[in-house]
Amino acid sequence: MRPKQKIASVAHLRKVCFLNTEIGKTKVASYVLRRIFIGFLQAAGITLVVFFVIRSLPADPVARLVGFNSTPDVYNQAKASLGLDRTIWVQLGDFVGTDGSGVITGDLGKSWVTGSSVTSGVATTLPITLQLVLLSFVVAIAIAVPIGVATAKRPGGKLDKSVFGYGLFAGAQPEFWWALMFIFFFYFQLGIAPAPLGMLDPLMVAPDKITGFILIDSLLTGRVDAFFNALWHLWLPIMTLAFILSGPIIKMTRQSMARVLSSEFILYSRASGLSRKQIARSTLRASLPPILTLTGILFGFMLGGAVLIEQVFSLNGLGSYSIRAVLNLDYPAIQGTVLIITIISLIVYLILDLVLVFIDPRVKAQ
Amino acid sequence: MSKKLKALIIGFSLFFVTACSGGAESSGSGAISTSEIVSLSEDVPPGLDSDGPSASIPVTQMAIGNIMEPLVYYKDGAANATGVGLFDFNEFEGRLAESFTYDEATLTWTFKLRQGVVGCNDETFNADDVLYTFARAKSVSGSAPIGWFLSNVADIANFTAGVFDADAAVATAAKELGDEVTKVDDYTVTIKQAKPNKLLLPVLTIFGLNIFDKEGMEANATPEDPWAHEYSNNTNLPSFGAYCIDNWVKSDSMTLVANENYYAGAPSIKKVVWRKVPTSANRLAAVQTGQAQIVDKLTPSEFASLDGVEGVSVSAVTGNQNLFVHMNFLTKPFDNVLVRRAIASAIDYDKIIANGYFGKAQKWDSHMPSTYPGYKKADSPYTYDPEAAKALLAEAGYVDDGSLKLTYITELESTLGPIATQIRADLAAVGINIELDPIPQSQFGDRALVKRDLPFALNDNEKPIAVDSGYATLLFFVSAANGSLNNMVNYESTTVDDLYVQLKNEGDNTKRDALLAQVQETLMTDVTWVPVVEYQTQWAHSDKLSGIKWHPDNGIRFKDLSVASN
Repeated sequence: MRPKQKIASVAHLRKVCFLNTEIGKTKVASYVLRRIFIGFLQAAGITLVVFFVIRSLPADPVARLVGFNSTPDVYNQAKASLGLDRTIWVQLGDFVGTDGSGVITGDLGKSWVTGSSVTSGVATTLPITLQLVLLSFVVAIAIAVPIGVATAKRPGGKLDKSVFGYGLFAGAQPEFWWALMFIFFFYFQLGIAPAPLGMLDPLMVAPDKITGFILIDSLLTGRVDAFFNALWHLWLPIMTLAFILSGPIIKMTRQSMARVLSSEFILYSRASGLSRKQIARSTLRASLPPILTLTGILFGFMLGGAVLIEQVFSLNGLGSYSIRAVLNLDYPAIQGTVLIITIISLIVYLILDLVLVFIDPRVKAQ
Repeated sequence: MSKKLKALIIGFSLFFVTACSGGAESSGSGAISTSEIVSLSEDVPPGLDSDGPSASIPVTQMAIGNIMEPLVYYKDGAANATGVGLFDFNEFEGRLAESFTYDEATLTWTFKLRQGVVGCNDETFNADDVLYTFARAKSVSGSAPIGWFLSNVADIANFTAGVFDADAAVATAAKELGDEVTKVDDYTVTIKQAKPNKLLLPVLTIFGLNIFDKEGMEANATPEDPWAHEYSNNTNLPSFGAYCIDNWVKSDSMTLVANENYYAGAPSIKKVVWRKVPTSANRLAAVQTGQAQIVDKLTPSEFASLDGVEGVSVSAVTGNQNLFVHMNFLTKPFDNVLVRRAIASAIDYDKIIANGYFGKAQKWDSHMPSTYPGYKKADSPYTYDPEAAKALLAEAGYVDDGSLKLTYITELESTLGPIATQIRADLAAVGINIELDPIPQSQFGDRALVKRDLPFALNDNEKPIAVDSGYATLLFFVSAANGSLNNMVNYESTTVDDLYVQLKNEGDNTKRDALLAQVQETLMTDVTWVPVVEYQTQWAHSDKLSGIKWHPDNGIRFKDLSVASN
């Protein structure tokens, strides 16, 4: 026989999970520290792999640097200026910072294309991508979770069938195709979206940079005109990305909800006479772990994967920066962006796991 | 649905509608401005240092051309049928130099500098700025020493490879500017050549030797960076050109404002917002809807789609962009001239012009751009003749095993993909079955420039930086042993090598052109490349905008443009 539980009580769950106890807090702290340590090893490993792999590619960054009009002397000078005339171990030492300036001190080196520091390149482009991806996830979750819940409640209903069709249709097309279609209809045909020329109207002066997030900076500097203009320019890329992200989130929500709705503890809750509201809350809570896991994976993927949306809407975020780095064999920029994306992904996964600890007692038990 | 959720949805919707309507008001286009334009490109300058890491990138060269000024430039010529202004590449005129003379006996050029020229920093131009520019070039302190390279190619005295000597003392001494560039007075400088070389004036027109504002640069130099590469690459480019940088966000946009003190008169367009829009379809849409006044690098089909579109014009010019088939002389079966000739006969040139370029190209009948001095159309151009191709292959004993791959740059798939497909069909029709092999640009550059091991390729990426067929000969066709810079196909001809030595030192234009004609006939006979087409450089722009001129870097100079009020 199952032990009796107050299923819908958060306080009770915390108690079950030991989260309100010193033992629970110590265990969570230990877990976080262990994850941070593992994350550090993962980031270091990935960075090293990238360092060696890009140098083994059958291409030469010096040729890009000097162009087709050069002499062997110019070529060698350019090669030396990039540090490529030294052994790979010396290059690795420079990158890591054995001389006191490198990754270990937060210096990601200088881009071989722009000549600017990779840190400044990432600092300029990362907020653009984060802003796009975060807002897209907010919109996608706000749309997808209620729809997923509704379809799980009435499987085979009209909404369920419609969503099934949408899932097939949306998932079958690449995101850049949707972006181009949306631009064609909403901008070119209907005229209710701006030209895909970036974050602001071309002739509008950008607000002073404080955080790099234009929506925040425009408010901090009192530039309400820039805030609304940025929102106006962002709505279509956000909707495009949300449209693409919604498909898998709806499917996962529906499946997870359906599974929980047919589980024994929900049947027991119903039999115990709990209200519909209490049952709905329990169901949603029990359905969340796979949805959050999927969201976390999608988020990590979108940091680099939103590049096509960025390209189509001229947003020039981290994805575009990475693509240019790869196409130009800009080793420092490639290494820097991979490291940053890895770190952010690991942080997101860590937060996700901690959230799961709070909402799912089974995770804690493990 | 709960009341809270409904309220949230309604609130969100109202907020969004407000945002959109606010944005719509602020983005209203209205009438076209005559003093401000928006120009869209697939990129904006990632850097501005002419000796810096982005010096080989076209948008960097275009930006330098708008911000800096050369000593001399080409004289205006006639406009073409679409109204694009052309230059007479045989005639030079002073820019920052008011006039110039040449003393053959001492191989010395004397430049009388223009007085009263004021740059963006309100500094006045003089001889010190010229000396600073050449001293900086000779320092080879940048990551890509273009200034030294151009000076070396033009045989400016003492610009030798000694600057790269392994012995630091020798290199340091070689980097010091000596009497090869001297200041006679504040407005007179001399430049001495080591030997006669016609390339001096052409290289002075190129971005890598445009003149810096010495004071502006030195004010931003540091002990670690005495030539201010960091500043000029990342912040500003002090000079005396028509435009000054107002705002620059790398990888996003650059705003230029007119230099009201520009010596040739302040530009008509006072402000240029130059934005990066990577997707060509978006640039097309933006110019069609009036959001942008000029865009470049659309695909041939996108340019063709603008025919008859109200309010939009396309300006086009046959400049120096071309397409050729590259065949490596060190790789079988391309070591056999009969096979190369067969390939030249197998290609349906007219179909490529019609389908690949929508008519905006012309058959290329030489190995030199037809706009360059010294160009000569071949006496017997290659023609499409599949039967002749089959006969040549039979004579060569060619056995097809289907192993040949035609390589091209994958980033140019939208342009080169259809053409490569057609060439594959043309070759299959004569019995040569090939695979298509698109590879990244960086890999293509490595194999073409460094390893020189590409067997068979389609290339539309070669533009000799100096507008001269003699320079193009040195660049591509002189043998490696005799100083070729980029002989991608490993071609060797004692005839071409000997002719180059003669023409390099030939001062008489008529005799030099005759030597160049012999070079070109030899190249055609040897089928060094298969020149396919010269395709047009195009811009789509508002029909109110006019004045476009074709510059050899294919970049717009905004000072050339003007916008009609209605």
